[in-house]
Amino acid sequence: MTASWWRYTFLIAFKDLRIEGRSREVLYTMGFSAALVVLVFSFALANATDAAQGPVTAAGVLWAATLFTGTVALARVLDRERENESIRSLLLSPAPRSAIYAGKLIATSLLMIAVEVLLTILVGVLFSTGVFNHLGWLALVLLLGTLGFSATGVVFSAALLRSRSREALLGALLFPIVIPVLLAASRATACLFDPLSPDLEPVSFWTRFLFATDVIYILLGLWVFEPVVIGE
Amino acid sequence: MKMVALAYGFIWLAVFGYVFLVGRRLGKLNGEMDELRRRIDRLKS
Amino acid sequence: MPAQTSQTSHGSPRFLAACAVTFLLFVIACNAIADAPREITMGLVQKIFYFHVPCAWLLMLSTLVCAGGSVAYLFGGSERGDRVALSAAELGVLFGMCVLVSGPLWAKAAWGVYWQWEARLTSSLLLWLMLLAYVLARRYGGPSARRLAAALALFAAIDIPLVYFSVRFFRSIHPSNTVVSTLGPGMRGAFWLSLLAFTVLWSVLLAARLAVESAQARLVDLEILLDQAEEKKT
Repeated sequence: MTASWWRYTFLIAFKDLRIEGRSREVLYTMGFSAALVVLVFSFALANATDAAQGPVTAAGVLWAATLFTGTVALARVLDRERENESIRSLLLSPAPRSAIYAGKLIATSLLMIAVEVLLTILVGVLFSTGVFNHLGWLALVLLLGTLGFSATGVVFSAALLRSRSREALLGALLFPIVIPVLLAASRATACLFDPLSPDLEPVSFWTRFLFATDVIYILLGLWVFEPVVIGE
Repeated sequence: MKMVALAYGFIWLAVFGYVFLVGRRLGKLNGEMDELRRRIDRLKS
Repeated sequence: MPAQTSQTSHGSPRFLAACAVTFLLFVIACNAIADAPREITMGLVQKIFYFHVPCAWLLMLSTLVCAGGSVAYLFGGSERGDRVALSAAELGVLFGMCVLVSGPLWAKAAWGVYWQWEARLTSSLLLWLMLLAYVLARRYGGPSARRLAAALALFAAIDIPLVYFSVRFFRSIHPSNTVVSTLGPGMRGAFWLSLLAFTVLWSVLLAARLAVESAQARLVDLEILLDQAEEKKT
């Protein structure tokens, strides 16, 4: 990972974020649909007399909404390369393919985290849960969970670039693989949201699990991105 | 007893079902290949 | 030129011998299972174990082989690796189905519930879903379907250690990995025979499925030959 590798990585990440900054398309559409997903869960999980509430529900809905709408971010960030065939220019550039992967990973993750912050507030309000009790830990869990999701997502989204059934397949292929990330992240988050939990030992455990999973997924992604994206 | 029978029965059915599907596909492919070979030979002669 | 007789692996003596061996092994294994002593607490239902565990082993073996073939294809351009990966993935779906059906049937009798969201069951289900996704990706993935699926197989392979060691790291209702070594003599023989029979069955099925893929490739070659012959004629 030389200095020039990092330079290319950040160049690509900034390129995507700058495009996004101009139109804010992904942010608005993703943010809106994520909020709607949270609302849907809020109604669906309510029983006859009570609204759905509690730390476990809040954490679960937060991460479920993140996952569902994360596929939107993934699809859009890679879709841009499909329009005007700019993926070809990107591949022909001197940027190493692994740097392209890392750049896309950073851009997607940052977009997702921006929406997750809003979602956390929304979830706290709708499910009557204090969400900002342990801000540092929460930030860490959000970051690690998002990275784990994006690490796999960028690979599959790039592979499906030329496919017709892109939207249908991305979720189907991605979700089984990111469920461990979802599991760890929502367990940690539930513990963080719970004012009655005795200590943060579960959070520490699941955070370590997330870290290890992220390292493995990112390394695998770096390795596999090039042969996958070059195509037949 | 019922559970054991169901479990073993399902496994046998699944395996034989798969064998049947594979065998059928192989037979069909061989038939198509034979047909193609006949046509090639006819054209060459 | 006389028409070539089709060299199918289905008719070849080696393949038929392999099928005969498989059948024989299963006869012996089933005899051993029937003769094995009944487990004290669970009785007859425990005998599902003799088929359930080999199927679980084959699920993991299939995933490993699929991942190996995928690496060979993705980084070595090996077409054969790609064919092996697809065949192994299909077998993984088949035997995974067997595990996920036989397990809950046993669970209902032993634990009172069909399913529990604990580590080993969850990670086995996920592994099966990933192999299913592999097969789906191959079919509907579009132009880069094979590469997409190969990447998927590699991510699925990470799940294997998770499945096997999950019982060690999480307190679990599921029997631990040490069960096999603590089996009594009558049970041990039946178990290992069953495992052998299933592994041989898996190899034979893999060979058959590979034969289908090779036949498919030969069919494409023949179509090209036919086009060339027709062009020469005109």
